[in-house]
Amino acid sequence: VQSPTFLENVKAYVGFDDASSALLREAHPLVAPRFGPIVDDFYATIEAHAGARAAIKGGAAQIERLKGSLMRWIDEMFRGPHDEAYFQRRARIGHIHVKIDLPQVYMFTAMDRIRVQTQSVLRDSTAFDAEKAKRVATALDQILDIELAIMLETYREDLVAKNRTAERLATIGQLAAGIGHELRNPLGVVESSAFLVTRRLEQLQVSDASVARHMEKIAVEVQRSNKTISDLLELARSRPLSRRAVPARTLLDAAVPAANLPAGVTVEIDAAPELTLDCDPDQLTRVLTNLLINASQAMGGRGHIWIDARRESAVVTLVIRDDGPGVPADVRPRIFEALFTTKAKGNGLGLALCRRIAEAHGGTVTLDASDRGASFRVVIPDVGAAP
Amino acid sequence: VTTTKCRRVLVVDDNLGLAENLAELVELRGHSAVVATSAEAALAEASAHPPDVLVTDYRLPGMSGAGLVRRLREAGVHAVAIVISAFTDDETIDDARRAGAAFVAKPVALEELARLVDGTSST
Repeated sequence: VQSPTFLENVKAYVGFDDASSALLREAHPLVAPRFGPIVDDFYATIEAHAGARAAIKGGAAQIERLKGSLMRWIDEMFRGPHDEAYFQRRARIGHIHVKIDLPQVYMFTAMDRIRVQTQSVLRDSTAFDAEKAKRVATALDQILDIELAIMLETYREDLVAKNRTAERLATIGQLAAGIGHELRNPLGVVESSAFLVTRRLEQLQVSDASVARHMEKIAVEVQRSNKTISDLLELARSRPLSRRAVPARTLLDAAVPAANLPAGVTVEIDAAPELTLDCDPDQLTRVLTNLLINASQAMGGRGHIWIDARRESAVVTLVIRDDGPGVPADVRPRIFEALFTTKAKGNGLGLALCRRIAEAHGGTVTLDASDRGASFRVVIPDVGAAP
Repeated sequence: VTTTKCRRVLVVDDNLGLAENLAELVELRGHSAVVATSAEAALAEASAHPPDVLVTDYRLPGMSGAGLVRRLREAGVHAVAIVISAFTDDETIDDARRAGAAFVAKPVALEELARLVDGTSST
């Protein structure tokens, strides 16, 4: 979110004031009839450039929706009011560009299309005298530059957030490598000692329910600690991917048993036998296994899980959905953060690991909005000729 | 269950507690075991009483477990060698295998280690 100082600062810097705002409002009726062609030109240019087009994954239907949004965007730019709420909305739109991975270069060039087109409409108009026309043109340049400044800021904010996550992971990595390995040995001693004590008691023919329960607790907790260390080490290490075409069914046939689901959980799979993913099968299986374990735990070990796999052009989407309680709204933004957990026995690494693996594939893992249960969406693109 | 003949096992780990426990586990399988907490002590022990099986940690002070295996081979000790480590990167595993040892990751799967010591699993 943009701070008011940032906005006031850029407005003051370019000299955009209430008079500028009024000039744009006055120009609105002149430009409004041309919004349609301007928007058409805007998207025709995007479609003509593969790098820009790649950010629009939803095809023609999405372009139609986006045209409506851009129409309102330009309309609002002329109409104002250019107040705090206006800038907040613009910043949100900027964040969407970041989210869909629109390269910054196209954010700039696309804005240039709008500038050239709107200025040309104004130039062709005879409604204003020369002096006023110049002032309107300046106000338009100013507001467009403010828009660019806002968008740049959203890209920067996103980069800072990504760096923070990366730094956090790197710190975790160093800690994990050091402490993890250091803890393996003492845990190994505890584990083997517990095993040896159990054996010794058997030898001595001592049978005591309380002792047995304590020995079992030691074994279980050591196992859990070992799992945490393994997850940390896995998260810390960035293994190179070994990608190949793998049938979705093969991945699921490995992931479902690996999740070791209790008998009360049923899994329904909808994946065409011929559907293949361009992925590292070991790492992607880990993603699916983690999501299945999460779903099962969220449902308290009883319920249904649906896995849906389908291909849309060069992208395969896997949706893992359950009929558990779902993810509470207040924790949704944080669930992919490393070391964040709401589970009494979770280590907060599972989803961070899932996201890390998906992103290494150039894909994503996201939580869908859903009324019932939780629905996680794994998107894995084919690498093909892309960089 | 396979009946195996009693083997002489040398367990090397700089963590004495772990070395002792591994030795005790090995003894539970009917073998005899001795413990060393450094590569030097292991070399001295192995020269005096050549073991049938060597179980060693990879990270030893001053020398890797794989290095220890190589030194023993040079000294004419041809024990079955098992290297264990919490470091499961390819480099460590390859180094152990090139030295002619089996590799077992920590946390040690006791059954797997037992099979290797018994000689019922091919190295």
